[in-house]
Amino acid sequence: MHIAVCLSRLPDPNTVEVDPLTGAVDASRMLYILNPADAAALERALQLRAPEDRVTALTVGPAEADSILRDALAVGADDVLRVWEEGRTSTRPAVTALLLATALRTTELPDMLLCGTRSLATGSGKVPALIAEYLDWPVVTDIVDFTLQGSMVRFLRRLAKGARSEGEVMLPAVLAVEAGAAALRYAGLPDLMKAKRAAIPVQDLSELGLSPVDLNFPAPTAQATMPPYRRPREIFVPEASLPPHERVLQVMSAGIAQKSGRIVSGSPEQAADQIIAFLADRGFVDRAG
Amino acid sequence: MVMTTHDEKMRTVRFRVDDTAHISVDGEKCKSCAVRACVTVCPAGLFVPLDDGSVLFNYEQCFECGACYFVCTQEGAIRWTYPRGGFGVTFRES
Amino acid sequence: MAVNGGSEHFDVIVVGAGPAGSAAALIAARAGLSVALIERGEYPGAKNVSGAVFYGSAILNKLIPGWWEQAPVERHVCRRDLVLMSPTTSVSLDFRSSAAGYSEPPYNGFTILRPKFDRWFAAQAEAAGAFLLTSAVVDDVIKEDGQVVGVQVRRDMGELRGDVVIACDGANSWLARKAGLQRELHTHELSLGVKEVIGLDEATIRERFQLTGDEGVALEYVGAVTDSVHGGAFLYTNRDSLSLGILGQLSSLVEHKKRPYDLLEAFKAHPAVAPLVRGGTLREYSAHLIPEAGWNMVPTLYGDGILVAGDAAGFCLATGIYIEGINYAIQSGLAAGTAAVEACRRQDFTRYSLMKYMELLYQRNVLTDLRAYRHAPAFVNGERLQNVYPELAARISESLFRVAGDRKQKLLPLYWQTLQQVGTKPRHVLKDLYHVARAYLW
Ligand SMILES: Cc1cc2nc3c(=O)[nH]c(=O)nc-3n(C[C@H](O)[C@H](O)[C@H](O)COP(=O)(O)OP(=O)(O)OC[C@H]3O[C@@H](n4cnc5c(N)ncnc54)[C@H](O)[C@@H]3O)c2cc1C
Ligand code: SF4
Ligand code: SF4
Repeated sequence: MHIAVCLSRLPDPNTVEVDPLTGAVDASRMLYILNPADAAALERALQLRAPEDRVTALTVGPAEADSILRDALAVGADDVLRVWEEGRTSTRPAVTALLLATALRTTELPDMLLCGTRSLATGSGKVPALIAEYLDWPVVTDIVDFTLQGSMVRFLRRLAKGARSEGEVMLPAVLAVEAGAAALRYAGLPDLMKAKRAAIPVQDLSELGLSPVDLNFPAPTAQATMPPYRRPREIFVPEASLPPHERVLQVMSAGIAQKSGRIVSGSPEQAADQIIAFLADRGFVDRAG
Repeated sequence: MVMTTHDEKMRTVRFRVDDTAHISVDGEKCKSCAVRACVTVCPAGLFVPLDDGSVLFNYEQCFECGACYFVCTQEGAIRWTYPRGGFGVTFRES
Repeated sequence: MAVNGGSEHFDVIVVGAGPAGSAAALIAARAGLSVALIERGEYPGAKNVSGAVFYGSAILNKLIPGWWEQAPVERHVCRRDLVLMSPTTSVSLDFRSSAAGYSEPPYNGFTILRPKFDRWFAAQAEAAGAFLLTSAVVDDVIKEDGQVVGVQVRRDMGELRGDVVIACDGANSWLARKAGLQRELHTHELSLGVKEVIGLDEATIRERFQLTGDEGVALEYVGAVTDSVHGGAFLYTNRDSLSLGILGQLSSLVEHKKRPYDLLEAFKAHPAVAPLVRGGTLREYSAHLIPEAGWNMVPTLYGDGILVAGDAAGFCLATGIYIEGINYAIQSGLAAGTAAVEACRRQDFTRYSLMKYMELLYQRNVLTDLRAYRHAPAFVNGERLQNVYPELAARISESLFRVAGDRKQKLLPLYWQTLQQVGTKPRHVLKDLYHVARAYLW
């Protein structure tokens, strides 16, 4: 089996300092790390690998990104590949996904593609889904655990509020794992030294059969929306008209009322209307839409 | 801000915390230590004296300077080594 | 490259990519040897802290001509002040020099930031052919029949073999101790330095310290700055930040129960320092040990298959007035590297062959300087220099400059009177004068 793992190098969030006045980030103070979720993906790939299997690590990034590929070699990746267009300064998820998918196509399609479910930097989590789209493969995100049974993967996904869901998917597939899914192993000395000396293969656009225009995507509309705002914190005050012991009871409950959900029903269109109406009531969307 | 609290100082330092502690303190041994030199010298303020006479220690924000190791006079109270390569403190400007 | 017991073999293994280690690796690699330079930090300099003024420009210039043009230096030091402090006042002795050595290449000293400088310097060793391995901590030496034949790295299959091991692992040198070359150090032989880098814009720095262009100043403080703790303080100008910190003898910190960061805050709040740092923002806090006992703590410098250089060998001149360690680290690293090269030529790695290191150290003035100043540490850490004289000087000048309507006192009576106020006998002053002379002049 051939397992490919996508890695990304990004600033350690602890070293990203934003100037409160200008909003500028001090690049000279940033240190870079391998995205923790990608590290977990790499570890899962290494754990899965049988003696005859092969693990390839890929990244999209400038020469500095070689360091994470060396780290991957040191812990046991068999091959690595860096993809980059010289002169570029950043990539959007769509570009990253296109480059990775094309690189996999032009070299050799793996049986399984593992990656981190989202990067710490942007946290958009779009890349796995977009790669799957380009490869026309199924994608499963937010994986906390999975096992391989023949060419079927049984997985456990994390849902909101601690809930979990189980499922199965046939290979080939894109599996995006959570940072907590595994801790990356520590390289042995000989492998570390070998990795340090290794030449890192690089492919640019022409080698991938792409032209710069292929990477021109329209500006994402998401940028036009309002930034999320935090609702002002409500401070609990007991009702003044109540007798003292009632107020004490209110204070002791700290104002916590049981959270309630609402289930909408009807045809999909009706349900959608209800949800939109609900959101509009609370000012999340315009009623017109 | 020029005048800073100890917390504010520590927040400017970057640590890559390993899962296992590189320094460990045997709080029992500290019960018979009157000097508590480690509490005084540790530049990261990582030693906290407890009411029962022992000392609480957390390795996570350690500068790896060695001061605690040298000032401790209680045989076997501190087990000291560096963290694994690549982990621990990383200075950017000092 | 011979294969030995399955692991790779190097001519020279240098432990620690500080200034000592990178210098040793650079010179050995240039001589064509296979060199491994092992560093436990994520990058060279990641674990390192200095003031720092680097006074070894001329040495480095011989190695890498015009080095400051390519290296990350901050400012060249054109002025040095020694400031004697009492709790409220201060007197400064100003060494401003426009002599050629200060203001023209290769300059006398540069302020540097170690994480940046060390990274650059290690890259020079790498470019010369040394194999730099970061994120690798060395736990011990490997010995066979008493001969050091390599080092044990804390990783799977972490054995690394080499003909000569050069321990450049800094002030807290486990390697020198594990190899049996250094004893356990005492708390009066070590100082703790705590430091802050405080961001301040370039224009403000120039204006505040009266500097033009890349000029910088080095201010060194003794006296009330460390309360009753034996130590000192420093403040150096970088390009767009200040480096400032305090140094305190470990034993003295313990004795007086002073927390280093409290002293640091008190230093910044002192009326002589506060206006200099005003408006700055803290960029990084850090701490490191300094070997302070000089000559008296120098370990056995060579053994079978091993040499010790830099802070690991106690080659740090902390005379109280200033710390010079980086330049001695480089000098001793070069000496050790050269000794290793010669041993490789002879293919003799016994201590008799490596003893050549001693001769090279004398040639490079490392041992001569250390010997010359061997009485300085005790004197510098003595009570009167630390606390009484700064107070004395501050009081005298305070009285001298105070315009209070009463008759100006003559200097000598004023001096005696003040002496009595701070509780020092003239006899002690004479004795100290003798010590000063012995420490600095003979
Ligand atoms: C606060 C302060 C201010 C100072 N100011 C000045 C100044 O202004 N001017 C000046 O000249 N000097 C100054 N010094 C002294 C100077 O910092 C030292 O003398 C100098 O750093 C010594 O260099 P070195 O290479 O011997 O050791 P270090 O710089 O300490 O380098 C040792 C290296 O070895 C690595 N290492 C240690 N153990 C291991 C291991 N087991 N395995 C792998 N790697 C290891 C470390 O990570 C480090 O990179 C100051 C020191 C301090 C603390
Ligand atoms: S100095 Fe040693 S024995 Fe005393 S409290 Fe600290 S760690 Fe414990
Ligand atoms: S090594 Fe230094 S920073 Fe770490 S615990 Fe000891 S004294 Fe504190």
